[in-house]
Amino acid sequence: MADRFTVLPCNGLDKAVGPLAREIALMVMEACQGELVCPVLFNNLPARYAKALELPLIVIDGCGTRCASKLATEHTLKVTRKLQVAEALKLLGESAGESLTPDARRLALCRLLAERLLSPPEEGTAVEGEAAFVEPVEYATVTRDKFVFRIPVKGYLFNENHCWARVAGNRARVGISDYMQQELGDLTFCEPPQVGAEVGQFDAVGSVESVKAVSDIISPVGGRVVVINPSVAATPEIINEDPYMRGWVAELELHDLESDRALLLDGEAYLTLVRQKAADYHP
Amino acid sequence: MSDDTFMGVPREKIPWYPTIDYSKCDFCMECDEFCPHQVYERREGEVKLIVANPANCVVFCRACAKTCGPDALSFPSKPETIELIKRLREEGGDG
Repeated sequence: MADRFTVLPCNGLDKAVGPLAREIALMVMEACQGELVCPVLFNNLPARYAKALELPLIVIDGCGTRCASKLATEHTLKVTRKLQVAEALKLLGESAGESLTPDARRLALCRLLAERLLSPPEEGTAVEGEAAFVEPVEYATVTRDKFVFRIPVKGYLFNENHCWARVAGNRARVGISDYMQQELGDLTFCEPPQVGAEVGQFDAVGSVESVKAVSDIISPVGGRVVVINPSVAATPEIINEDPYMRGWVAELELHDLESDRALLLDGEAYLTLVRQKAADYHP
Repeated sequence: MSDDTFMGVPREKIPWYPTIDYSKCDFCMECDEFCPHQVYERREGEVKLIVANPANCVVFCRACAKTCGPDALSFPSKPETIELIKRLREEGGDG
């Protein structure tokens, strides 16, 4: 394992998921010969970890309270990878159980999650039809006070959750609209979906996190994730800068575009929606 | 205007909103602090949080559930909701 990481885990000792977060943190640290941050000590004496935090950071949250993530945000730490154990277990059809002492089965699950954290997501095959996705886009704009929202006139489909799909052949790239990125503000994290994941129309296809909020990316189209944008996890700010082009999140092989399309808006219809939203926009 | 309909269907006809499992909820208020749409409301007394404005909930959004430590929030089935929206669109038309 070439890359070393520093791990900032959940410290929840009073819930079953906390000790699992701890186990995963230890496994990751040992496997990559990295460093471990105690969140309690870090909170009191951050300077103690200045050296360790020169390494890329993995944050492991136990549950949805996300104490470790919040601590990282408070201290403006750059997070390279993250895991929320309860959610990851749920996706595997498992749970943390009740016991504060992990059993063998749960330790095996911890090992699996630790391995996943250390092996970077597959980036899929080379992008077929890349050219179709990089043709320049013509934008219409909606202005509200100092805010200007751009909407591509052609070539994009939208849902009313402010996410878009750009179709080329039997594939589509998906991302969030300019309106949504401005509503969220500066993005601090983007979690793309797993390559190979089957995503239904209106399922979450990853999430974005800003200083204000966490938001699911609701996929306008159903399909199998074949490629993720290798840049958005490390530099989510490209979604703020260029939400429709460089800020794409994932590329899907489509299941049934014609059926999906019936529930989507074209650029013009989305423009009308954004006009209505902008009329009562209070960021 | 747009907040009253979703995908052309009156919002109140789409039963998409969180349900609080009070046997799990510890009233930490993370969901209420998170949700920018005032779906939840705090109350005095034993039940300190309710889903007060279900129609404010963004259809297909489940983001508040991710903030829930004790996993006390649930949402309706997404495929069933899509089917319902399709049916209501067909029934409603534009007139």
